[in-house]
Amino acid sequence: MDWELERSDGRLVGRPCGRVDETTWEMFSQVLTAAVREAADGGGLPLVIDLTGLDYMSSRGLRALTMAKREAGEIVKITLAAPNDRMREILAISRYDKLFEVTADAPPSGGPKA
Amino acid sequence: MLVRFWGTRGSLPVAQRADAIQAKIAQALVAASGRTFADEAAAAAFAGSHLPFSTYGAYGGATSCVEIEGADDAFIVCDMGSGLREFGIDALRRCAAGHARTFHFFMSHMHWDHIMGFPFFGPAFDPAATIVIHSGHLDTEEALRRQQEEISFPAPFDWLKATFQFVTHQMGETFDAAGVAVTLIRQHHSHDSYGFHFNRGGRSVIYSTDSEHKLDNMESEAAFEAFFAGADLVICDTMYSLGDSVSLKADWGHSSNIVAVDLCHAAGAKQLALFHHEPSYTDEDIARMHAETVRYEELVRADRPALEVICTYDGLEIAI
Ligand SMILES: [Zn+2]
Ligand SMILES: [Zn+2]
Repeated sequence: MDWELERSDGRLVGRPCGRVDETTWEMFSQVLTAAVREAADGGGLPLVIDLTGLDYMSSRGLRALTMAKREAGEIVKITLAAPNDRMREILAISRYDKLFEVTADAPPSGGPKA
Repeated sequence: MLVRFWGTRGSLPVAQRADAIQAKIAQALVAASGRTFADEAAAAAFAGSHLPFSTYGAYGGATSCVEIEGADDAFIVCDMGSGLREFGIDALRRCAAGHARTFHFFMSHMHWDHIMGFPFFGPAFDPAATIVIHSGHLDTEEALRRQQEEISFPAPFDWLKATFQFVTHQMGETFDAAGVAVTLIRQHHSHDSYGFHFNRGGRSVIYSTDSEHKLDNMESEAAFEAFFAGADLVICDTMYSLGDSVSLKADWGHSSNIVAVDLCHAAGAKQLALFHHEPSYTDEDIARMHAETVRYEELVRADRPALEVICTYDGLEIAI
């Protein structure tokens, strides 16, 4: 799993890439927690997890999301964006689509500016 | 070994009400509309091949009781939920036909849904029966005696005629029970619960119910992956969705279908049996949970061999 964190338009956008399973969940959990702290330190910035590049996550990754949400409390709002079809199914089966706001569109990338 | 499920429901026994039966009959009539059947056998053959299990069958509502056949001259039974009454009736029938009157019980824990069948267990009144009760807890006998105190039940424990033996085991120690090698693992649950690993002739069955895999202690799951390693069948507490188990129902002592799949995948287990069904679930709810679990297994399988996901019901038999 790879991870990028970017600050743009008054929010933090985290981009996991690859898959989160029993071999990568600890790293995912660490970077998520760090992102939540950064968002909190930034005065409660919203944190968007852009799932565009994510193949899928198993229950380990989902549970890491819940730990991040506990860390975030009322201060940082976490939303999930642009899950692929497989991830959308996993969010439905796990009922995580009831625990997190899930948006269909990815946040715009800061990317190279013209 | 043959695993026979006498009770598969969690927490509280449930019974089908008339409206559930009526819905099944209506679904069957719609499915059969326009057809004629020569007799009931022909109708049963059609129903068996054209209707889903949730319509033509039922998951049942007795609480935890699982028999493992294949020991030497003894019965092996996990837990004493309300399914134990039916098992007791069948065991007396088998004993009358010559089966040895020795029973080895393995207790996950003594919550009510796991012991409530014991006062109705016929062989306990048989003076020729020997009943060995294995557990990880020290207070198993106290729990069984207490539920037969006069305030709760008319027949006290001391009226039972069988010879009883209570054995407490340590975690990690493998012991022999009528030719079957057994190992325990402690599980996270109110007042603790224990999972059991049964092995005979290289075939293994795991019984792991009432076991919460806590969000903030995922490191501890390595122990369960090792305990489940290579198992032919893992019977798992899959009472809740993951979402419920980490929110509303966190700390209620139970686990989810998808954590069970992940543990079995990591352990390289061959079959997962969904167990300890939520009592508020209808047959359709359980069938949906089963279908979703099968689908989740496909979605996260990657390059692992397929894990077969079986949904338990009262009366199911699985040959190992
Ligand atoms: Zn239970
Ligand atoms: Zn319990």
